[in-house]
Amino acid sequence: MMWHLVKIINKEWLSRDIFSMEFTLHGLKPAPGQFFQIRINESYDPLLSRPISIADYEKGRLLMIVKIVGRGTEILSKKKTGDEVLIFGPLGKKLKIKNKKSLIIAGGIGVAPLYFLAKSLKKARIDFTFVYGARTPSELVLKDEIKKLSSRAVFITETGSNKAGTALSVLNELNLAEYGAGYACGPRAMLVELKKMNLQFPVYAFCEDFLGCGCGLCLGCAIKYKGSYKRICEDGPVFELKGLEFND
Amino acid sequence: MIEIFNIEFQNPVFIASGVFGFGLKYKNVTRSVGALFTKGITLLPRMGNPPPRIYETPCGIINSVGLENPGVKEFCRSILPRIKKINSRIFVNVAGFTVEEYAQIVEEIGDRVTGFELNISCPNVKEGGVLFGQNPKMAAEIVRVVRKRTRCPIIVKLTANFCDPLKVGRACIDAGADGLSLINTLYGLVFDIKAKKPLITGGLSGPAIRPFALYCVHRLRELKVPVIGIGGIMTGRDAYEFLLAGAKAVAIGTAVLRDPYAPLRIIEELDTLLKGGK
Ligand SMILES: Cc1cc2nc3c(=O)[nH]c(=O)nc-3n(C[C@H](O)[C@H](O)[C@H](O)COP(=O)(O)OP(=O)(O)OC[C@H]3O[C@@H](n4cnc5c(N)ncnc54)[C@H](O)[C@@H]3O)c2cc1C
Ligand SMILES: Cc1cc2nc3c(=O)[nH]c(=O)nc-3n(C[C@H](O)[C@H](O)[C@H](O)COP(=O)(O)O)c2cc1C
Ligand code: FES
Repeated sequence: MMWHLVKIINKEWLSRDIFSMEFTLHGLKPAPGQFFQIRINESYDPLLSRPISIADYEKGRLLMIVKIVGRGTEILSKKKTGDEVLIFGPLGKKLKIKNKKSLIIAGGIGVAPLYFLAKSLKKARIDFTFVYGARTPSELVLKDEIKKLSSRAVFITETGSNKAGTALSVLNELNLAEYGAGYACGPRAMLVELKKMNLQFPVYAFCEDFLGCGCGLCLGCAIKYKGSYKRICEDGPVFELKGLEFND
Repeated sequence: MIEIFNIEFQNPVFIASGVFGFGLKYKNVTRSVGALFTKGITLLPRMGNPPPRIYETPCGIINSVGLENPGVKEFCRSILPRIKKINSRIFVNVAGFTVEEYAQIVEEIGDRVTGFELNISCPNVKEGGVLFGQNPKMAAEIVRVVRKRTRCPIIVKLTANFCDPLKVGRACIDAGADGLSLINTLYGLVFDIKAKKPLITGGLSGPAIRPFALYCVHRLRELKVPVIGIGGIMTGRDAYEFLLAGAKAVAIGTAVLRDPYAPLRIIEELDTLLKGGK
């Protein structure tokens, strides 16, 4: 693990408040779920780095997709193609994908790590369905890319004209008995609801929360899993949903 | 090379308690620092506090980790031997909930470490912790009881929360402590304005507290005992200020959360300053 000073080779706005950054960084063998800590600036405010998932990695080309939700991501959004960024990683445990027909459930910006996962499944020739919900149609980023990966991709928005709903509302329309594994990333409320649905196959939840060090040192990123606290950054960020204990 | 308590340390940059786990991960950092203060060790294993445990504030963070640790037995069995292979200069941060517990933890570890840092200043536990550290009599009592059970150097980690570290520090030295470290985190609070209730209460650390920490260290120089300066140190220049204020060494805390390799940079920068460079 180390710092890399990387140049943004392409920065693009995907929606009003979601942008992508591409870097060149050779020699990594990252797995879905892994992420980088991004140094926001050289002043001490904000003090901590921000964790951003690997949204894609191919032939030394690293993709990140970021949604502006606060000061750190706002500052990051001002970076332009050609600017340099300090990133630390890759961090997090490497997820081993299951050789089972898979269901991918993305809510909002949760799509970022799941896009990389979907590409990994495709490479491993594992069949999957990609369900992706966002608030509005313009926030459905990567739609075309996902369509290219899977003929069975379902998109839904809360304001959609023909059909309105969330990623979870789509699940009821699927034949869930077909699937052997699930992967989900989205707002905490979505994971809580999904857990209540008690799907009959293991679902791997990508947990996104505020981190401290991001690399296993500070114990600042606790999440309760099977009765004890685990570190999101080091023991995760992917956990089997069944074992996660949400206090709400 | 510096000498404190007649013990040599390769440099005066240490790692503060709680921010580097047990130093087992970024081994080249652990190996390069003057000493490592371990995460707080309690008599029994502790799960720690529920999330959120860290919240960022201007130029700082509030943490409420709550002394998550495997307990002294497991620490001695599976962790201590591994740290010792990386750096032999280890101070165990001892966190008791009663006076007797401090002594029991110290006794269990014995002389397998360089020394002990008595944590009487943790703001993130309901009993003990900072309450001991605010009261000179309680603090002295802990030192007296521990003193009887160890010949290793005893450092007392002081708080500056609603009390005068000079008074508590003096009481600890009179009771037999060899040195003092300060400051531990300051009380801090953030509100959830939607729910209209506290989102996190805990300990504030980072550059936001540095001038205050420096003031406290400077205030203790009249005690003429070894002091380890802690609080918001991010650069060699910051560390140098603490040395000028009277600290024998410094310990790096929150800076490590921003960059696990920060101690390496700080060692280098400080070395340049001490050699008269800029
Ligand atoms: C492993 C991982 C991978 C991630 N991947 C991505 C990704 O690919 N793309 C992406 O866009 N995002 C991703 N995130 C989320 C991203 O890291 C955050 O959105 C980002 O750190 C927010 O920073 P900010 O400074 O913009 O917002 P902040 O201002 O820090 O926070 C935004 C909001 O959260 C609240 N908040 C802040 N700290 C806390 C806390 N400790 N407890 C409770 N509430 C708090 C604030 O009040 C505010 O409302 C990932 C997170 C993790 C852990
Ligand atoms: C995440 C975190 C955990 C900490 N855990 C401990 C601990 O277990 N025992 C202790 O004495 N101090 C603990 N501290 C306090 C630090 O050792 C240090 O005294 C304080 O953070 C001030 O220094 P800083 O501003 O450089 O971080 C902790 C601090 C942080 C940020
Ligand atoms: S953020 Fe520090 S241990 Fe996970």
